[in-house]
Amino acid sequence: MTDLSFENVSITYRSSSDRGDVVAVKDVSLDLPAGATLGIAGESGSGKSTLIMSALRLLPKSARLDGRVLLGGKDLQDLNFGQIRAVRWAQASIVFQGALHSLNPVREVGGQIIEALTHHAKDTWTTPEKRRDRMFELLSEVDLDRSKAIAYPHELSGGQKQRIMIAMALACEPDIIIADEPTTALDVIVQKQILSGLAALVAERGISLLMISHDLAVLSAVCANLAIMRHGKLVEYGPSDEVCLRPQEEYTKQLAGAFPQIGDPESRLNPRTLKPAEVTRAQPYTMGDEVVLEAKDLSVSFDTRHGRERAVRGVDLALHKAEILAVVGQSGSGKTTLARSLLGLQEVEPDSQLSFAGKPLPKKAKALRTFRRQVQMILQDPSGSLNPKRSVYEAVVEGLRVQGIRDREYERVVGALEAAELTPAADYLESIPQELSGGQRQRVVIAGALALDPQVLIADEPVASLDASVRGEILSLFLALKKNLGMSALIITHDLGLAWNIADTVAVMKKGEIVEYGDVDTVLKDPQHAYTQELLAAVPRLGSQSLVRNE
Amino acid sequence: MPANTPAEAAPGKPSGAGSPSNGSDPRGSDPRGSAPVVDGAKLVRERRLNNAKKNWALFRSDIPAMVGAVVLLFFIVIAVVAPLIAPESMLDVTKQLDVPRYAPPSLEHPLGTDDLGREMWVRILWGARVSILVGVAATVMSMVIGTIMGLAAGHFTGLFGGIIMRIVDFFIVLPSLLLAIVLSSVLERGVFTIVVAIGLTSWASTARIVRSQTLSVESRLYIERARILGAGHRHILFRHLLPSVMPLVLANTTLTVGGAIIAESTLSFLGLGDTSKESWGTILKNSMDVSAATSGYWWYVLTPGIAILLVVLAFTMVGRALEAIINPALRSR
Amino acid sequence: MSTPTHDDSRPGDPNQGPTGSGPGTTGAGPGSAGKGTDPASGGAASATGSAASASGSGGAALTGPDQDMDEPPAGGSFARYFLRKLGGAATSMILVVLLGFFAFRLLPGDPVLKIAKERPMSPAQIAELRSQYGLDKPVIVQFWDYLVGIVTGDLGESYVYRKSVASLIGEYLGPTLLLTATAAVIAIALGLWLGQLSAWQRNSLFDKVASSTSLIFWSVPTFWLGLILLMIFGGTLQWLPTGGMVTPSLEPWSAAAVIDVIKHLILPVITLVAVVYAQFLMVMRASLLEEMSEDYLTTARAKGLTEDEVRRKHAVPNALLPTVTVVFLHIGGLIAGAVTVEAVFSWPGLGKLTFEAIRGPDLPLLQGTFVVFSAIIIVMNLAADLVYRFLDPRVRRA
Repeated sequence: MTDLSFENVSITYRSSSDRGDVVAVKDVSLDLPAGATLGIAGESGSGKSTLIMSALRLLPKSARLDGRVLLGGKDLQDLNFGQIRAVRWAQASIVFQGALHSLNPVREVGGQIIEALTHHAKDTWTTPEKRRDRMFELLSEVDLDRSKAIAYPHELSGGQKQRIMIAMALACEPDIIIADEPTTALDVIVQKQILSGLAALVAERGISLLMISHDLAVLSAVCANLAIMRHGKLVEYGPSDEVCLRPQEEYTKQLAGAFPQIGDPESRLNPRTLKPAEVTRAQPYTMGDEVVLEAKDLSVSFDTRHGRERAVRGVDLALHKAEILAVVGQSGSGKTTLARSLLGLQEVEPDSQLSFAGKPLPKKAKALRTFRRQVQMILQDPSGSLNPKRSVYEAVVEGLRVQGIRDREYERVVGALEAAELTPAADYLESIPQELSGGQRQRVVIAGALALDPQVLIADEPVASLDASVRGEILSLFLALKKNLGMSALIITHDLGLAWNIADTVAVMKKGEIVEYGDVDTVLKDPQHAYTQELLAAVPRLGSQSLVRNE
Repeated sequence: MPANTPAEAAPGKPSGAGSPSNGSDPRGSDPRGSAPVVDGAKLVRERRLNNAKKNWALFRSDIPAMVGAVVLLFFIVIAVVAPLIAPESMLDVTKQLDVPRYAPPSLEHPLGTDDLGREMWVRILWGARVSILVGVAATVMSMVIGTIMGLAAGHFTGLFGGIIMRIVDFFIVLPSLLLAIVLSSVLERGVFTIVVAIGLTSWASTARIVRSQTLSVESRLYIERARILGAGHRHILFRHLLPSVMPLVLANTTLTVGGAIIAESTLSFLGLGDTSKESWGTILKNSMDVSAATSGYWWYVLTPGIAILLVVLAFTMVGRALEAIINPALRSR
Repeated sequence: MSTPTHDDSRPGDPNQGPTGSGPGTTGAGPGSAGKGTDPASGGAASATGSAASASGSGGAALTGPDQDMDEPPAGGSFARYFLRKLGGAATSMILVVLLGFFAFRLLPGDPVLKIAKERPMSPAQIAELRSQYGLDKPVIVQFWDYLVGIVTGDLGESYVYRKSVASLIGEYLGPTLLLTATAAVIAIALGLWLGQLSAWQRNSLFDKVASSTSLIFWSVPTFWLGLILLMIFGGTLQWLPTGGMVTPSLEPWSAAAVIDVIKHLILPVITLVAVVYAQFLMVMRASLLEEMSEDYLTTARAKGLTEDEVRRKHAVPNALLPTVTVVFLHIGGLIAGAVTVEAVFSWPGLGKLTFEAIRGPDLPLLQGTFVVFSAIIIVMNLAADLVYRFLDPRVRRA
């Protein structure tokens, strides 16, 4: 059995650009004794990925490492390249984000597993037949059918690719498995399956697990110990329960607080953040009876290669004044299509009825354009939603110009930016997106929508691509917009916690249908439909190894 | 796995004019003074100036590109001042009767003379005018066509997009030289014909680059956002797509000039050029007509070719440097 | 999201998907107008390209992985793919046929007057020429005759050779195929091999030498390089024959004759290869550079593969895919290059025939060689698309 330890590790990227050398990791010491599980949490840029890459000496040439990385007591720096290669995968293997591009797209996945075996042909798998049998054995251990061995990565779903990555990591019976965001981009239900599967396999074999993630809840669900990193430094380290439930450091508190505890009354309609948006009205708006946007029997079909597929089937929805409605579902449930059809961006089946303020949705281009002033949509990724070459002012003013609103342009833009709490607005007008942080970009996008004075905002995963600490800020902004302006919002999300944080009502979607729809408190506290229950159960909770114990 | 970039996005806070407003009313109804003074224009200017300085520094640090730029400048200058250095009469065969034919390079005849006793250096000088002019003019033509076709092919879907696509594909598949031969052999001989023949047939590679860039920009969320704001084709094409392909097109222009100069010389060599005008291709054709290559008149073959090589290489070096400057900007999105 | 996006209107077109993610501009080759080819196909991944690898993000449900709704779509039969590609090629061919007719009839410049300009003719002779070539008939009738001719293999009669164009082309086709095929094979092998070495050792001395040599070759006119080679090896050194394909005195198909043909072949092939391999090198280099930052290479390294194995087994197979399409597009350029090379070396092929036709001017012959050249190139591209289908599993089985 092998221990992995980082001793005063600092990693610096040499850079020829004017930014100079960049310190990615500063003086980090961590221990992973044999058989232990350790999670490293941190937001993007915290240096966590850089740190684990040093465990197998996989850093790029431009990186300089100070301190020592010890694997089984041996300093990795002292090994020559051949020895390093022997260590890789045989002693420590890595599970990358399989859902992305960690598998070679043009080779069969079975062959990619066998390749690991051929390179570390221990005495056990000496012949091609034995290696093939081992590969099939691994596939069955990760609950994949043998037939998947001849599949190419693009033929597998994200969860299946992640299983292949795990099978590959287990192939040579390593002592340590390093998992790099193993469930990012997977749905909650799949995430739960992958995590519990990984945790069980590791526990059975006594393999030690080092896992990194931006998601504290995911880590605490699997790992016994947790380390929190920020700006390359270790902020807090300790047993999962301690770190999550009784955090010492301010930053950890903020991270832990960002995870909504569904059912916790304190976070209901109150996203936790250090910078809550201001409610300026003495009597904030609350959800009214007046229906603003309504869909009856809404169905959408697509022509695909295997014929017509129905993405949305017979959905009934009503959005009231000053209501926040969360539509929750896994990817592929048709929720984005639903949002696009409510906006008139998507062709719907003829018998679907869509109405805005009591009138059917216009069909003609010109009338549709006017309608778009009333209903605005905010897309998933704020960085992608802004043209990198255009300033904040240009981004916000775009809607006004497109809509032909010429008067009081400057006031409208500044007003919208301030409503989106990007203050003082004048300071940001000429910034370009790359000078702004993720949260600020999202505020600019929201301001762009607000400039048109809409009555309804439709937001597609508005916080999914933001760091946890920014999440609360943006969510509280949505609440403030509702309270201050009486705006209605329909928020598309995969995150039940978001619904708990800000929504009045929630609709749960599965395969294009709404399976449960109602008041948030009722639905989330007492779910009726089996699917809602399954979703709720899959949400990782802060606290020690909940997923492992569930098994 | 790309390493995490450790630098947190630093919120740039350029200080603009205009005092911070206290009101958070998005209707903007609070009176902030009638004529808003947005000093943003100045900031934008500064940003552009800084960018230009940075790019110039990058360009200067690229030695081959600087050499290329100097070579280009040299050839452009000699092309412009050719009539001053060497009067056109020096090309008149009837006035060269006392000059030896096929004189090898010497002090008296620096680049040698041709079969009619004309000085090679004079011919090269005058040839630069037509060769560079044709190269640049044909490139401009092909860039304009290529950009329009590429944008249309990338942006429009449905029947119209499909038709554009087929046309682009046709021109991509068929080598432009073949089409240019056909065009210039049926049109009247002349410099203009050569320009048209090259320009009309060589835009496909530009269209292809533009199409691929358009498709990639088209799939970005800010285009979707513009649609949500109610934007039509015109807005998306001219406000988002065109600005995003222009840098690529400009870098490609420099690269394409080289190709166009080679195409000009090839057409002239095949006898499709304007025989009354000096161009490097025409000189090479003349040398071929008198079998200079096999008869030992090496200077007759070598000099125009080296001129072409230098100019094309120079354009290519400059173009590559421009591309390298533009590319990180394209990728950092 | 498995929801189809509205702007993804051309799924699975290898002309876009793979090339989109292909050669980036880092090492992108020189622009290409004159050579009709395109080493730099744009660094940005196209919508279709990314869709292919990002499809499906759901996972295996415990109840059985195959029922998962996020299962990436299978479908798109080979027949449909083939028909679509065939349709594309047919459209191109129709355009060539149309162009072949209208360019030669409708553009300014009466073909007969052009001939008349070259040699003195009386009006009666001109009229006779007109009727001989059917130029006095209405355009629509001429077009019909032309179409019928194309279908039946009758491409008219050459003004100069006084022979049927079809038989002339048949006679000259073989040497051209011999020349271009030899050059293509050598150029592809050399270009791809040097390209991948260059990319892998980026910024090394080898890379710099290989890249700049190829740039220099790229920057010269094909025919000029031919003239220089001719001058050195044919003229000064007299090692190799200066023109033609065979020495007439030799017995056909004897060993001596075969060696003789090879000797004649060397210079033209070197010329063509030198000018074309640069583009293959650039494309391969750029496309491998693009792959080098991909995550699956980190996986391969983490598995303990040597750098050499990572390159050969993982990076190069992926980089080859976008390259193949571009390489086949360049074949068109290579075939066009044959026109000038054959003219320089008097190689008795279609290129030389084209050269003669231009000199004539012999419009029926020029029209014939244009149509035949274009047909060869279109067929080559169709073949490339089909080859691609078998190389890339994402297209093969998606």
